[in-house]
Amino acid sequence: MDASSVGIRFTLNGRSRSAVFPADTTALKLIRDALKLKGTKEGCGVGECGACTVIVDGKAVNSCLMLAAQLDGRTVQTIEGLGRPEALHPIQEAFVKEHAVQCGFCTPGLLMSTKALLDENPAPTRAEISKAIAGNLCRCTGYHHIFASIEDAAQNRRERP
Amino acid sequence: MSRLQYSRPESLAEALDHLDRHGRRTKILAGGTDLVVDLRNGAAEPEFILDVSRLNELKGIDVTPEGVSVGAGVTLAEIESSDALERHAPALRKCSFTFASRQIRNVATIGGNVAHCSPCGDTVPPLVIHEARAELASKRGRREVPVEDIASGPYACALPPEELILRFILKPAPGVTFADFQKIGRRRELAIARINAAAMARQEPDGRVSFFRFSLGSCTPTPHRMPEVESCLSGRVPTAKLIWDAGKLLADRTIAITGRRPSIIYKEFAIQGLLVRMLHPLVTS
Amino acid sequence: MTSPHKAIGKSIERVGAREKVTGQARYSADIELDAPLVLKALRSGRPHAEILAIQTDNALRIKGVVAVFTAKDIPGKNLTGIIIKDQPILMGDKVRSIADPVALVAAETETAAEAALKAIEVAYRDLPAVFDPEKAMAEDAPKVHARGNVMVNRTIRRGDAEAAFTRCRSVIEKTYRTTFIEHNYLEPDAGAGFVDSDGTLVIYASTQNPHYDHKDVVTVLGVADEKVRIIQAATGGGFGSKLDLNVQGFIGLALYHLKRPVRYVYTREEAYLATAKRHPLIMRMKTGADENGRLLAMQATIICDTGAYASYGPAVANRAPVHATGPYAIESVDIQSFGVYTNNPFCGAMRGFGTPQIAFAHESQIDLHAQELGLDPLAVRMLNAHRVGSTTATGQVLSASVGIGDCLAAIQPHYDKARATWAAAPAGPYKKRGIGIGAMWYGIGNTGVQNPSTARVEMDLDGSVTLFTGCADIGQGSSTVLAQIAAEILGLAPQAVRLVTADTKFTANAGATSASRQTYISGNAVKQAAEQLAEVLKTEAVNKLRVAKSALMFDAGCAAVAGQPDTRVSFSELAKRIKSKGASLSWQGYFDPETVPLDPQTGQGVPYATYAFAAQLALVSVDVLTGEVAVESVVAAHDVGKAIHPENVIGQICGGVAMGLGFALMEEFEPGKTLSMKDYHIPTCADMPEVVPIIVESPEPSGPFGAKGVGEPALIPTAPAILNAIADALGVRLYALPANLERVLAASMAAGHFKPVP
Repeated sequence: MDASSVGIRFTLNGRSRSAVFPADTTALKLIRDALKLKGTKEGCGVGECGACTVIVDGKAVNSCLMLAAQLDGRTVQTIEGLGRPEALHPIQEAFVKEHAVQCGFCTPGLLMSTKALLDENPAPTRAEISKAIAGNLCRCTGYHHIFASIEDAAQNRRERP
Repeated sequence: MSRLQYSRPESLAEALDHLDRHGRRTKILAGGTDLVVDLRNGAAEPEFILDVSRLNELKGIDVTPEGVSVGAGVTLAEIESSDALERHAPALRKCSFTFASRQIRNVATIGGNVAHCSPCGDTVPPLVIHEARAELASKRGRREVPVEDIASGPYACALPPEELILRFILKPAPGVTFADFQKIGRRRELAIARINAAAMARQEPDGRVSFFRFSLGSCTPTPHRMPEVESCLSGRVPTAKLIWDAGKLLADRTIAITGRRPSIIYKEFAIQGLLVRMLHPLVTS
Repeated sequence: MTSPHKAIGKSIERVGAREKVTGQARYSADIELDAPLVLKALRSGRPHAEILAIQTDNALRIKGVVAVFTAKDIPGKNLTGIIIKDQPILMGDKVRSIADPVALVAAETETAAEAALKAIEVAYRDLPAVFDPEKAMAEDAPKVHARGNVMVNRTIRRGDAEAAFTRCRSVIEKTYRTTFIEHNYLEPDAGAGFVDSDGTLVIYASTQNPHYDHKDVVTVLGVADEKVRIIQAATGGGFGSKLDLNVQGFIGLALYHLKRPVRYVYTREEAYLATAKRHPLIMRMKTGADENGRLLAMQATIICDTGAYASYGPAVANRAPVHATGPYAIESVDIQSFGVYTNNPFCGAMRGFGTPQIAFAHESQIDLHAQELGLDPLAVRMLNAHRVGSTTATGQVLSASVGIGDCLAAIQPHYDKARATWAAAPAGPYKKRGIGIGAMWYGIGNTGVQNPSTARVEMDLDGSVTLFTGCADIGQGSSTVLAQIAAEILGLAPQAVRLVTADTKFTANAGATSASRQTYISGNAVKQAAEQLAEVLKTEAVNKLRVAKSALMFDAGCAAVAGQPDTRVSFSELAKRIKSKGASLSWQGYFDPETVPLDPQTGQGVPYATYAFAAQLALVSVDVLTGEVAVESVVAAHDVGKAIHPENVIGQICGGVAMGLGFALMEEFEPGKTLSMKDYHIPTCADMPEVVPIIVESPEPSGPFGAKGVGEPALIPTAPAILNAIADALGVRLYALPANLERVLAASMAAGHFKPVP
């Protein structure tokens, strides 16, 4: 497959999708511009802030550092696949309940890092949480309520079947 | 950049064939976390991107009689969770704990980190202390080179463009009782190393160090072993004074390589300090 | 103990949180527009130069490029500025910093826009440049602006400092330095716009002050007020940098000429290059104390590098000297402050406006006195702390809500425990532990100038209430707090108050979201508006319920008789009755703090109606071999008057500690060298200490329910506490920020700690 235009098939938020785009398109650009999913944010463009975090095959990745071509055949989840205002995912509920949202720009990326963490490790220690979210920078909250939210989400997850 | 072409070969042979024909105008995509930054800022302007991230020949961590084989396409996350590396190359595993961020570790590869030739690459010092060799493949065949020879200078890869790193072979170090990787950065996570280092040793019950390997990173343009520093400790029982002097020697040897650059005002002493801090457990145990 | 309040003091769900956690909140880069053009500015890249010619023909020939604007295309007045109007939106005759924009490209794609930037040719004649503010103050320095490089100068003089020094046992004089700091909000500056069907230029902006944006945009375009509408989009942080006109002028200009949708989203690199930075301050401070540690005199010279344009420079250069004494009563002061132009990229508002820098100085000085006199640093602060009845350096008598003593008392037990157990415990080989205190005060609102807020509360005939406020919520939670205030007055659940915020078509000017002023000033305006509506409702309820007005209360959308909940009338019925009598259901509130402008010669006056106070304690561990500093714990006691939303206050405190930690240890911006987020370090979650937030409430009588503010106070004491802790750990003090690896290791070596353990 030699092409300046790339075609892929992948699963996005549970649905099969296909896309065609120039080879230099990043995953972030594909998600935001072509697929019009605006929840994933560009904070720095160089993988230093985590605002662009999405989940690919269960792993949190910086979508600004991936070529869209790398999504071929993968399962991708963005914030739009997590919950809706009328039916929040428990992690989203925890963030709201524990006051972890201020300006909100880091929030979608943080939620995706949290989802990836809790899917793999339902009972993380604080150190394990720290490792999982150290790549998600926040300038507003000082992370205090964010830790509380993630611990609350993990706790609730264990209490619900 | 709009005429950039993307190619994902289905086999190693296909990849090598591409590199043979277009290697000079090609950038290899293993994880992409360095490459995409370079594409964005114009530091890289290739005609082709060759995506090798799904080639099985580049995957896998295997313990073999010749040593531990780590595929060039193994991610830092896979290194982080590898029991085999915990047992056979714990310094390499340890460097993954503070490598960039979780998001980057999930995608970035050891091959990419080495081939990027950043003087600060965190995987390099652990590879060096294991006397790691890189197995290289091209259409013409295979060969092995020491990891130290891959960089010809900062961000300058010495490998010919038709070659692909397949794997790293780490020399076994039987009976190692101590292994560590440490780095000094401007913050605790998501930080490029100002100084990083890897060490491993075998300390006998009487306190004598019978085997010692050490490599310093982020302080020289290309990776170096420091045999004089290693022999400083070999056969001795480490005291605080001994490792203090070893640290001074390390700093002096480093300056001999780099000359007195502005950063040396800090590094001259922090290099010594890092070695002392890292080896202090050998003194107390 | 039951609270008398239903909505105040409750940590309710934050307004807008659901939209943010689901990714539905629309920031400027997200707003759907019909094929918007991409805007990009060409920046000079030169620190000081005359523009001889700008050639745009080659750029215009590129496919996809629709227009290239220069200064000559500006229809109105090409000068903007939040205080002093000295900043063109496109440079016509000269550039004064590498960030100055000289042309604006509008193109169909980003690629075309980038290509156009490269194709524009500008001929410059380089001029000598000055980058050092002290050099810039010299007579023969290159002139950044025609009127001279000293933009502003403030003197605060009271008593006789010279004489007072002679009575001091301990006299200490040091120079403190801080450097450029970048706000690094997570959302890079952005805006978008379109022309509405009635011809209105509608501009969405990531902004802290939509009404100021509106004023400067209509001036730049030379159009009537109604022709431009500014709507604050969801804004991802600001911290002072989104007070300037960043992209709004560009968007207005493009809409004016092209009449089609446009968008301008800064890359992080452009945000670093082109937006305001925190002022570097050089602070020469001399203080004197008697043998008991009582501070008797201060002499200080403060030089603020304001860069190429004024922005909020005058505010910084005024606020720093006013706060220079710290929260302490010092009888004799002689303080000079200068805001100086240089050819560095411009500095502007950043959380604290010079007080984080000056606090580093005054908190270091008081620790030095304590050390010299053999006194406990917390006790010395207690001795000197302002109290009710204290007179400040500007001659203001503090008549109420002076919580600094309470804040110091709140950290006392933590301090005692840390000294007794933590500091004494072995830290491990090659590590030293230290304890440090930082204290601060912060005047709420703009310094000695009017900064009113207006708000409107309206009831519909169905009894529902809408609050209209121009107040921009940038993540600090003002929308929630203002809803709580209105809800409390009207007996509603805060969620029942409909909000219309920060849209110049519908709201009135609430002033900027800055200076920690919105809870206090807009809060009062909202309260006043709600109280007027309440009065009208109660008056009509008396007619219906036939009881005295004082017997009435509000509950769940009704007026009822206190103690007889079934005797009630709905707001809806009251509203209909009020309307039928021709009275108003729409009421406006207005509040401006009571201040007295500072005397130009002596700086005496009443700069603020109220002050927030705080004290923080930092426990640090220093690696004496490498210079690394780990902050283990910060106890932060903040007098906020009244915490209207306690978790919100805690969120501000923790966020402030993070920003203060970055300021202390790892943040330094070098213009021209710090290019992307690979080069600039803000704290990750792993860098954070355990934070123990303590809310202290010393009620402010003139504040809504006693509230003052916390946004900026949150970070001011942190760096001083950390730097004092480092000095405690090493026995050697740092006088420049940040306390980075290099400086801390040098201090460790100077103190003799860089040696093998025995």
